[in-house]
Amino acid sequence: MTLSGRNGLTSRQPWRHARVLVGLAGALLLALLWSAASGVLGLSPLALLSGQVDELGFQVWWQLRLPRLILGVLVGAMLAGSGAAMQGLFRNPLADPTLLGLASGAGLAVAIWIVLFQGSGPAALYGQFLAGFLGALGVCVVVFGLAGRHGGSAAVFTLLLAGLAINTLAGAGGGLLAFIASDEQLRQLSLWGMGSLSHALWSAALAACLLVPPALFLLLRSARGLDLLQLGEATAHAAGLDAPRLKRHVVVATSLGVGLCVALTGIIGFLGLLVPHCLRLWLGPGHCLLLPASMLGGALLLVVADTLARTLAMPAEIPVGLLTSLLGGPYFLYLLLRRSPRC
Amino acid sequence: MLTLEQAGFIDPPHLSPIHGDILPGELLAIVGPNGAGKSTLLSLLSGFRAPQLGAVTLDGRPLDAWTPATLACRRALVAQQEPPGFDWTVRDMVALGSDPESALVARLIEEMELVDLADRSVLRLSGGERQRVMVARGLCQLMARRHVGAPDGGLLLLDEPTSALDIGQQQRLMRRLRWLARQHHMAIVCVLHDLNLAGTYADKVWLMEAGQRIAAGQPRVVLQPECLARTYRAELQALGRPEGGASWLALRP
Repeated sequence: MTLSGRNGLTSRQPWRHARVLVGLAGALLLALLWSAASGVLGLSPLALLSGQVDELGFQVWWQLRLPRLILGVLVGAMLAGSGAAMQGLFRNPLADPTLLGLASGAGLAVAIWIVLFQGSGPAALYGQFLAGFLGALGVCVVVFGLAGRHGGSAAVFTLLLAGLAINTLAGAGGGLLAFIASDEQLRQLSLWGMGSLSHALWSAALAACLLVPPALFLLLRSARGLDLLQLGEATAHAAGLDAPRLKRHVVVATSLGVGLCVALTGIIGFLGLLVPHCLRLWLGPGHCLLLPASMLGGALLLVVADTLARTLAMPAEIPVGLLTSLLGGPYFLYLLLRRSPRC
Repeated sequence: MLTLEQAGFIDPPHLSPIHGDILPGELLAIVGPNGAGKSTLLSLLSGFRAPQLGAVTLDGRPLDAWTPATLACRRALVAQQEPPGFDWTVRDMVALGSDPESALVARLIEEMELVDLADRSVLRLSGGERQRVMVARGLCQLMARRHVGAPDGGLLLLDEPTSALDIGQQQRLMRRLRWLARQHHMAIVCVLHDLNLAGTYADKVWLMEAGQRIAAGQPRVVLQPECLARTYRAELQALGRPEGGASWLALRP
């Protein structure tokens, strides 16, 4: 990989930042138009833009596709953005909210809700959403309680180990729940667990609209601090970083956003790992560009993957989490093999 | 500028109370055997750990009363090497955290003999090259953020900056640090393992042993062969003594 043309990335080339971000946003816009137009009921993009669609077309578009697009954009941005922030926080390109146990903690809480308290109608959705939210928050509190006992450089290591323990625990808990679940619940669990945007209704999209943007904003504000943290905690402190505050911001934003995403769509794998990793190869490691680019890239990838998921096997639908893992896993292995000596 | 008032730590790593001043224009060397508390003392001086005993004040204000951002304009730290996680270029690494003008970065890159490496990834540098990058970054932080009318050049703390350098690099770095202390009126604190470097270039030396500062003063006073032999449990011989300076020391075969 050549490093020429990447100089001065940190702060001195705002025009380059703008160019990259506008490019990604443009690609996202095209993907949104394509996604809005394709499906069982094909709608021409031109007709959509000029408002010349019939009643049925409008209903499909308004009730099904638009909330799904909104959810896709927000969930994709949140997963990829929090992946980028976590990788910066741990100074490790393999870190991810799943690594910390946030996703699996939220997942376990949602599974508990599905098996033990399942209601019907709006109560089901909001209960599920609240459960995921509380699950991620609970993991956040436990992980930080553990990390708070060890200061300095031990803290990151403790965080990772705590995440490992929580992942194991959540896996065992999930198994136990599957064991006691009824057939109907089991089917629901496994469908949800594969990760899909197919439950997208306006209620879900609005919940995401309310809670994801503040979390994204908090992550974007942490970009400069994440850059400084790359110097190591002692040096970053001397360079003006309030590291405990930065960690708090990143972990709280990530756990809230990811908890919500998991509750709404299940665990969609590899976005948080893959998108920042690929963008870092292209743009370099500076977070002021990497974080917003990852958010746009994650939204783009999830919208494209979701459109493929619902059009490849029409009228049936492949869970998008399955698709991202199927595509992302091998590509990620390829990246690791190609660059193994360096990170 | 930096004053220690019986400052120390109770919890391990323990540090017995130390009283003293670190003045602009001076190069202070901290020496002592492994595990003597040199890096612990440095974390006290940088404010990374707040003292459990006494106080550390900068310009008369306790370190923890400064906001991190304003404190960063007054003191910088070059810690022992941590492997970088991502492939920053040398140029970006030097500029990291201080939004400097590119002319300053270019000058520091030249002074630290990094011109040929400026666009290389820090992951592909040798230990000595990375050490020079981190020294340049520390200097960049102090120089870029210096306020107009500041009374001095700020405080630069370095933890074993010469450990991976060849002898020519060591000489040029130590000369530059002494020059910065004199010309830019910086206070420079440098943890060193090489006693001859400390004796040749430092204005003052603090000798640490088992969490205590057991001697402080001019190099020729502190760096006595007999005392050092006892502290380091090494057999030393003095090779001679320059006018007014500390003895040149060598290990007995």
